[in-house]
Amino acid sequence: MVSISEQLFDALGIMVLGMALVFIFLSFLILAMNLVAKKFAPKPQAVKSTQVAQQEVVNSSVSPLMTAVITAAIHQHRKKVL
Amino acid sequence: MEGLIAFWAESGIANFEGGQLLMMAVGCILLYLAIAKKFEPLLLLPIGFGAILANIPNGGFTDEGGLLYFAYYVGIETGIFPLLIFMGVGALTDFGALIANPKMLLLGAAAQFGIFATLLGAIALNWIPGFDFSMTDAAAIAIIGGADGPTAIFLASKLAPELLGAIAVAAYSYMALVPLIQPPIMRLLTTESERQIKMEQLREVSKTEKIIFPLMVLGLTILFLPAATPLVGMFCLGNLMRESGVVDRLSSTAQNELINIVTIFLGLAVGSKLSAEQFLQMETLGILVLGAVAFSIGTASGVLMAKLMSKLSGGKINPLLGAAGVSAVPMAARVVNKVGLESNNQNFLLMHAMGPNVAGVLGSAVAAGVLLAVLG
Repeated sequence: MVSISEQLFDALGIMVLGMALVFIFLSFLILAMNLVAKKFAPKPQAVKSTQVAQQEVVNSSVSPLMTAVITAAIHQHRKKVL
Repeated sequence: MEGLIAFWAESGIANFEGGQLLMMAVGCILLYLAIAKKFEPLLLLPIGFGAILANIPNGGFTDEGGLLYFAYYVGIETGIFPLLIFMGVGALTDFGALIANPKMLLLGAAAQFGIFATLLGAIALNWIPGFDFSMTDAAAIAIIGGADGPTAIFLASKLAPELLGAIAVAAYSYMALVPLIQPPIMRLLTTESERQIKMEQLREVSKTEKIIFPLMVLGLTILFLPAATPLVGMFCLGNLMRESGVVDRLSSTAQNELINIVTIFLGLAVGSKLSAEQFLQMETLGILVLGAVAFSIGTASGVLMAKLMSKLSGGKINPLLGAAGVSAVPMAARVVNKVGLESNNQNFLLMHAMGPNVAGVLGSAVAAGVLLAVLG
């Protein structure tokens, strides 16, 4: 029969070893993920976003006048709430 | 007349023992929690019903040849059910938030301290007369702190099958109690201004990154921790099926039909372990207490780690995120979001919290692998 304090000592060992292993493993994973991100992450696409913005303007079925009216209404409503 | 006596001798009323009645009451409590309180109903309902079935005198459900006996023998003793569930969880998990911010893995690692601290606690409990946990028992109990049901059941079935019922019940009950257990600890360890920290929007993640991720996790597990490959392997298979986009049928089966079927039998089989002679012990009480301690320490260590990262990054990380490092997907992330909103009603942390949350699943699988490698 192993004494409790000896068992506790073993458990402490497993604790230190376990936490170290978990951290090392996940740190490796972080490194690997950063490497993959360097190669495969989508580039910040300024060109694309302006395209999307333009498309939105073209596709927008709400007329500029209507937009102005809605904006003003929202503005007033916010004022009321405050 | 003789027929009547024989009938009486076979009836439930004549054969009841006190312990069985008590365990049926426990089963009813679990049913109540599942139905009225909506505590993890998907598991507590079959577990509660299984507990009732397992304690029917002369029912024979858990004897060799009975339904529950086979469900346990085929699914849990072999470790197959928790692994199939893990595949489904993999197919359900979107790693996008984590891939966009890999540092969150450190939070998932820190929260696993709850597991290892409880290992120490379980052994220390042996000083109290009536407790006699071996090291493998202690490890199986400690994994409750990982807040991950399938992982807890898998590890318990390998290391301490006789404690499985109590461990599974504790794990799932505390996962349901996450919204009650975590917030006080989170508030205690953070200041109001820290809770108000807003985080930058996450970057976009490409499909290629999402496909490479499960393969990379598997690769690292093969290299460093083969003992965790059953868990991590099935998880990665599920996730690859999801992200590859070419096997939508398989992915949808893994995250719907298969996981549902397995959940029914997993619940019943766990319930079958709630028999009077195995559950009505001092040890069960100890397991329930240790489980709560494990959860609390895990939450606290996650939050403290997040505080440290917040300091080092110059206040760019909200320390509340650390609490999501215990797995309990997606409950812990929702709790983080809720506590964050209390301090600043414009601060939505949910997406940011999903990162450490799924990191916690990986972290607890790795911790389980370490325990299996050292003690198994």
